[in-house]
Amino acid sequence: MAALYANNYLIVAIFLFLGILLPVGALTFGRLLRPHNPTTVKRETYESGLEPFGSSWVQFNVKYYIFAIMFVIFDVETIFLYPWAVAYDQLGLFALVEMLIFIALLVIGLIYAWKKKVLEWN
Amino acid sequence: MSGQYIAFFILSLLTISGAIFMISFNRVIHMVVALAFTFLSIAGLFILLEAEFVGLTQIMVYSGGVSVLMLFGIMLTQHSKVERSEQKPALRIFTFAGILAFFVAVFYGIQKTPWSQEAVDYSTQNNVKEIGVQLYNNYVIPFELVSVLLLVALIGGIIMAKKEADDE
Repeated sequence: MAALYANNYLIVAIFLFLGILLPVGALTFGRLLRPHNPTTVKRETYESGLEPFGSSWVQFNVKYYIFAIMFVIFDVETIFLYPWAVAYDQLGLFALVEMLIFIALLVIGLIYAWKKKVLEWN
Repeated sequence: MSGQYIAFFILSLLTISGAIFMISFNRVIHMVVALAFTFLSIAGLFILLEAEFVGLTQIMVYSGGVSVLMLFGIMLTQHSKVERSEQKPALRIFTFAGILAFFVAVFYGIQKTPWSQEAVDYSTQNNVKEIGVQLYNNYVIPFELVSVLLLVALIGGIIMAKKEADDE
């Protein structure tokens, strides 16, 4: 079994290696082939025919942050659900009740967010 | 065995270089990208230790969730390029002493921990299933406390960010 695992990860390693090599190789090859003749007009950012202004790193709305927090929290919840689902046939009713309490507490959080109108976008 | 050794070498190199780049970059967004590299390499190290579930959790929560959270947190603030001022030597020595004390404490703690049993060979077992059986039979109270912790984090985050949003 361990040897089988090692072989599987060899495939993952090859996949990773190819994934890094392909874009690097393609961009290097393109750099060698294309003519290099930059002018100031060519270097401008293309923005649907509009003149671009300012930096692209602007200050975001704080609502994005709430969504990120909620994403992390429900991400962790999913991770706790996963071993529970895999081991479900060995756990019985008590684990089901445990998980229902767990989910109920997080649903309270979701209802709170809903009531506070955090989920609305205006 | 040698393949494992090479993989460990590359992954630890990526972990350490990600951390070093994170400290030495000037722009905060580049720092987060370097940190994401460190997170991914740590996930690789976990997988190398045959702890697949922990490795995938690392990818999902840290590389996926926490990096995005940090990026949004940075996007909220003013994040112009940091001008690094020269620190006083006394402060540097103090910082170094703090880091050294932390390292010694962690190293000593790891060395002195009495590992009660021989390491279990989990590579022949279903890793995730074992975690599930252990977690939902023997560690019920910590598990439920985690849900309370998540609830508090969710509500606290909403209260703080909501106040900010109303002020704008």
